[in-house]
Amino acid sequence: MPDQPLQPFAPPTALLQYLPSGLNISPGLVVTWTLYAVFAFWALYTLVAIYHWLKYSHASWIAFPAIAVHLVVSFVIMSYALSGPAYFLAPYLP
Amino acid sequence: MREFELEPGEHVVLEARKHWFLFLGELLPYAILLILPFALPKLLVLAPPMAQYASVFDYHTILGRAGLGVWLLIWWTSAWGAFTRYFLNAWVLTNMRIVNIKQRRYFYRAVSSLFLSRVQDVTTDVNGVLSSILGIGDIKVQTAGEDIEFVMKGIPHPEKMRDVILRYVSLKPQNTGV
Repeated sequence: MPDQPLQPFAPPTALLQYLPSGLNISPGLVVTWTLYAVFAFWALYTLVAIYHWLKYSHASWIAFPAIAVHLVVSFVIMSYALSGPAYFLAPYLP
Repeated sequence: MREFELEPGEHVVLEARKHWFLFLGELLPYAILLILPFALPKLLVLAPPMAQYASVFDYHTILGRAGLGVWLLIWWTSAWGAFTRYFLNAWVLTNMRIVNIKQRRYFYRAVSSLFLSRVQDVTTDVNGVLSSILGIGDIKVQTAGEDIEFVMKGIPHPEKMRDVILRYVSLKPQNTGV
């Protein structure tokens, strides 16, 4: 058991000083590009899943609502992660 | 049907998937992981020695918000992937054969057929109180001659499916087209 309280994570600003002086990278920019990388992986996974839905779901009517719900929920989460407070999460946030 | 072509005179009688209750059980870990970032700070506050750690979960900062967003996206997408696999795993009963479609993971798909003319025995297995109440069970179809058997676990009302299979097995060959 640690005997010291955990400290909030701080972006590694000490490492950023080793970057070329012309590169002015803010922690916010790093977070944004990390999010873009995660979203790119999500897009690839979603494309594969949609391909399977459309090819193997036996033309079931469930395929389109399932894909639509996934896309809508994912875009809501992404917009929250990128841009800020979301009314649907506000009551649950600490 | 993309996986198999229906023969002339063949039609789909029914499709069966795993019971919805078992699928909900598969979703439970995802649901717990999804609510964890919301529940954990409130639970930590309830335990005084751990209350100081509750401040770590600050989702009003850029990093906290991004972390929460990525966490939610990962587990939401995983849960949706579980639903996709649930839906794409199916048993299809036609008037001529049973088709077992197994989608183990993406791009790994096995489709096997068993003609009803070769069916020798159909066994159902319902074990336990909950399974009996909800009608969850296994069904095993065995063929004559070779030791080939089709097993599907956790399907709803296996005895009804057994009756349907046996009804089509007992039909005369000219009626089944086999």
